[in-house]
Amino acid sequence: MQVTFRIQKYNPETDTTPYYKEFVVDGVDETWRVLDVLEKIKGSMDGTLTYRRSCAHGVCGSDGMRINGRNRLACSILLKDLNYRNVVTLEPLPSMPVIKDLVVDLSDFYKKYELVKPYLITKTNPPEAERLQSNEDAEKLFESAKCILCACCSTSCPSLWTNENYLGPAALLKAYRFTFDTRDEAPEERLDIVDTQDGIWRCHTIFNCIEACPKEINITWHISQLKKALVNREI
Amino acid sequence: MSSKYYGSRGSGAPSWYLQRVTGVVLFVVAIGHYILMHYHIDSGHTYDAVLARMQNPLYKMLQITFVVIGLYHGLSGTWNVFRDYKMPGWLSWTILGLLYTAGVAFAGLGIATILSF
Ligand code: SF4
Ligand code: SF4
Ligand code: FES
Repeated sequence: MQVTFRIQKYNPETDTTPYYKEFVVDGVDETWRVLDVLEKIKGSMDGTLTYRRSCAHGVCGSDGMRINGRNRLACSILLKDLNYRNVVTLEPLPSMPVIKDLVVDLSDFYKKYELVKPYLITKTNPPEAERLQSNEDAEKLFESAKCILCACCSTSCPSLWTNENYLGPAALLKAYRFTFDTRDEAPEERLDIVDTQDGIWRCHTIFNCIEACPKEINITWHISQLKKALVNREI
Repeated sequence: MSSKYYGSRGSGAPSWYLQRVTGVVLFVVAIGHYILMHYHIDSGHTYDAVLARMQNPLYKMLQITFVVIGLYHGLSGTWNVFRDYKMPGWLSWTILGLLYTAGVAFAGLGIATILSF
């Protein structure tokens, strides 16, 4: 079987603008993942092709890219899930500076992640054994804890496209994950951080983030819980 | 911490909440308005019919509330749309100033018109 990949290429050292290059790849199967095809192109057709990947199993979040116009993980999409008889188009995640080909600069994404203090903050002395949490309370965090920081959500958010200062869905999801953790002792601190005009209030429940998330996390619901907590606190 | 990610401080929760509450109120009042103006037995669009209705102070109050809430909802929504864009400080202050001026001017005009009946 044969498949044609049209890939956006850009090398800042030699190119003035990005361009598309087509690769006709033979000997593939519809059960191949997009990442497998990329590996074949890089291995035997164009060694300069640049993309990130690490685990190749949807765990590390490295290979987020725009596949046929949607943000997805290359390692989690099979050719048969795409309209592969037509040309398959790959582009870097939108709205982030491109470092090379399919690799974008995620510094801003991580900076926002850091801003929401994505860790448990405790102020009291630790108990003898461990800080316990009930099953019910832990369950409230399971979905948000599935995030692998692939940036597919934040880079699909129209609010972030127009205002780069917006914290974005991934950082807000992380804020939920720790604010609603019963073991955390600084939820107010984190709520203060997200409660700014460029913080949570730029989310207009457009739902792009949910469609993009490879882990099928209902990000908007989690953001709405933070909004509710803020309204209850302020009004 | 970088100031880059901080828009104006001060909670955005009250205005977010008010925008929703005024939206619901406007929806209900707008339905009432349509029923009263177009589908009610006493509906009438003549000057006399409007004048007669406007003699009722409660009806006047309702109209003033409608004007104020409508302006708040519309202008605050417009501001929210502008806030989606990253702007230099002077531009956002100018836009905010214009919206406030428009709000005060139209509220004054609307209330004066209602009270003149
Ligand atoms: S729901 Fe909020 S965070 Fe998600 S894409 Fe829409 S505006 Fe962005
Ligand atoms: S919420 Fe989903 S899309 Fe966003 S970074 Fe986490 S895993 Fe990726
Ligand atoms: S390579 Fe790790 S998630 Fe795809």
